[in-house]
Amino acid sequence: MDFTQTKNGDTLIVHVAGRLDAVTTTEFDAESQTWIADGNIKVIADLSGLEYISSAGLRSILTAAKQLKGAQGSLAFCGLSGMVEEVFSVSGFAAMFPMFATVDEALAG
Amino acid sequence: MKRHGIAFKLALLILSCAFIIVAVIMGYNYYYSRGIILQQAQTNAKSVAHETTSRIDSVLSGVQKVANNIALSMEDASLTKEDILELNKRVLANNPEIYGMAIAFEPYFLESDKLYFAPYHYRSGGRIGFSMLGDPAYRYFYMDWYQVPKELERAVWTEPYNDEGGGNIIMATYTVPFYRTMDGKKVFAGVVTADISLEWLEDMISDIKLFKTGYAFLLSRHGTFITHPTRDYIMNETIFSLAEELGSSQLREIGRKMVEGDRGFTQLDKTRGAEDRYLYYTGLEYGGWALGVLFPKGEMLADVHRLSWIMGLIGLCGFFVLALVIIYIARRITHPLTELSSAALEIASGNLDLKLPEITSRDEVGDLAESFRVMNTSLKTYIENLTSTTAAKERIESELRIAREIQMGILPKLFPAFPEREEFEVYASIEPAKEVGGDLYDFFFIDDTHFCFLVGDVSGKGVPAAFFMAVTKTLLKVVSERGMDPGDIITKVNGDLAAENESCMFVTLFLAIIDIETGETRYANAGHNPPIFMPCGGTPKWIPPFGEPVAGIMDMMEYSTKTMTMAPGDIMFIYTDGVTEAMNQEQKLYSDERLMELLTNMKEPFAPKVVKAIDESIKVFAEGAEQSDDITMLAMQFMGKCDKK
Repeated sequence: MDFTQTKNGDTLIVHVAGRLDAVTTTEFDAESQTWIADGNIKVIADLSGLEYISSAGLRSILTAAKQLKGAQGSLAFCGLSGMVEEVFSVSGFAAMFPMFATVDEALAG
Repeated sequence: MKRHGIAFKLALLILSCAFIIVAVIMGYNYYYSRGIILQQAQTNAKSVAHETTSRIDSVLSGVQKVANNIALSMEDASLTKEDILELNKRVLANNPEIYGMAIAFEPYFLESDKLYFAPYHYRSGGRIGFSMLGDPAYRYFYMDWYQVPKELERAVWTEPYNDEGGGNIIMATYTVPFYRTMDGKKVFAGVVTADISLEWLEDMISDIKLFKTGYAFLLSRHGTFITHPTRDYIMNETIFSLAEELGSSQLREIGRKMVEGDRGFTQLDKTRGAEDRYLYYTGLEYGGWALGVLFPKGEMLADVHRLSWIMGLIGLCGFFVLALVIIYIARRITHPLTELSSAALEIASGNLDLKLPEITSRDEVGDLAESFRVMNTSLKTYIENLTSTTAAKERIESELRIAREIQMGILPKLFPAFPEREEFEVYASIEPAKEVGGDLYDFFFIDDTHFCFLVGDVSGKGVPAAFFMAVTKTLLKVVSERGMDPGDIITKVNGDLAAENESCMFVTLFLAIIDIETGETRYANAGHNPPIFMPCGGTPKWIPPFGEPVAGIMDMMEYSTKTMTMAPGDIMFIYTDGVTEAMNQEQKLYSDERLMELLTNMKEPFAPKVVKAIDESIKVFAEGAEQSDDITMLAMQFMGKCDKK
């Protein structure tokens, strides 16, 4: 998996690329640990580069979201498409998190 | 190739070096000392030769002086016959080196009536003998000793000769011409001769010893041997006749130089198997004689050779001592190595308790032995750890296997599940992935006419997922009561699961309850992927999701229930994402499209047939790729109310 971080004001934008499955969740978990460790609590995850997500991946996202929430922060998603978008919608994750089409829209809130 | 040990290689290398060094030292020493000895021998020969020649020259010059003085005094015309005889005798008596002396006058010179006048005094048995030379048989003025100085008008030494009359001794004679003035003219008057025996010369020269067999010899003006250790040569051979006999041009050349009075040092060519010899030669001042000093090279170099031999012997002894020392040291080094090597081999074969050889030397070998000991200990500890870890792992794996069996055991596996029921046909299968997963399905009667069936998928894998699955399944069974809607059931289960869910586990659920008399089906979906509804004779279609979230996270979530009606022959196919996300070797997904296509083209669908066909299709698609997720399918086919009742 590849993670690219950019900063916009106090918001951290993380571009996630690759496959998020049972094998790569450890990478995602390690990445999400750095967000709070670096003091970023407002995070937008750009999933436009994400090819695949499994139920284990959903759980990692959930864990990250819970930690951010515990730190009075927030986690929003944007750029979902194809299979990932379907999984989000089927699993109800689309209803649980703020979802946006693009990064700009997500920043606008 | 033969295998050689370190000891052998070390010894070979060092000894080769030592051998070369010793050889170079000895060789240099030999040539250097040889040069010195040769130079010394030359100097020695020179000084011996010069000493000898100067002794001979002093004798000869003494004789010459005496003869010259007599000759000078003979020019006095007032001398009487008596005076001359007296002078002759006295001079001989006073000069012991002179053997005999004659004063020979020209015929009729002193007395006009006497043809001969030549008094001769000589030594004989300790006395002085006298005779008057000249008679018709011995006309002395024709003899060489008379004629040569007369003609040359100067004093000469005769060639040495054997004086056969006077005791067979070798003699040489010095003759000096003398003149008298008559009528104002200087006329030849006669010669004075002084004989010397060459016996003393022989004695003197044979005393010269150079090394063991070196010797000296004397040559006359014409190259005749005057003295030589080989007595036959004396007066019989010349150096030239010897050269002719030996066929040696070198000797001829040397002879030529010697009679010319040259000096030189040369190595003689080998002739007649003789050993190498050196010759020093020098001319004498008087008599035209030449002295040669000859000495063999072998004897000259005997000392050098002996020195070389002794050095060689010492070198050889040193060589052997060195060899022994090297072998000893090499053995001392390699012996522990050999022991260590065999110990290592035995340890490698598994005997870790082998007692290592005691090596106490405080050097690299000792370090090696110490490292080896440490390695052995670490290896032992490591293997012990590994053994216990492996045992623990095996225990855990075995426990996991048992857990899996238990997990699978709580799912209904017996088909046909309700053979006595003709109103519906239910069939399910679960293909577990290698790792323990969290898929579940279940079906059971809530009351006589209401049949509940469900499929769920717990997030993640492993023991936590298995636990969560077991809890979910148990809760579902317990919660499902008569009269409850599927949404209510999921809402209640969700609440229970979410209450104590620190680890963010969740489960997707599709739960339906069918009235087996009417076909009315109520269903709820908590984040599960949409099932497929296959109407009898119609085109299959997805049952759209409501977008309600997975269960287990949000405890206050309310799930809704929807209702549809199944006609006889209709099938509801519920599955987990293990089906559509099954992957082949190229990591391509099985996909919704493939699933839908398969179901659309299926002839005369029947619940067990549907499940088995999809299962078969997935296996073909995966091409043996390892299954990453559980594959769970459930097909529920409604047959309608049994009319037989």
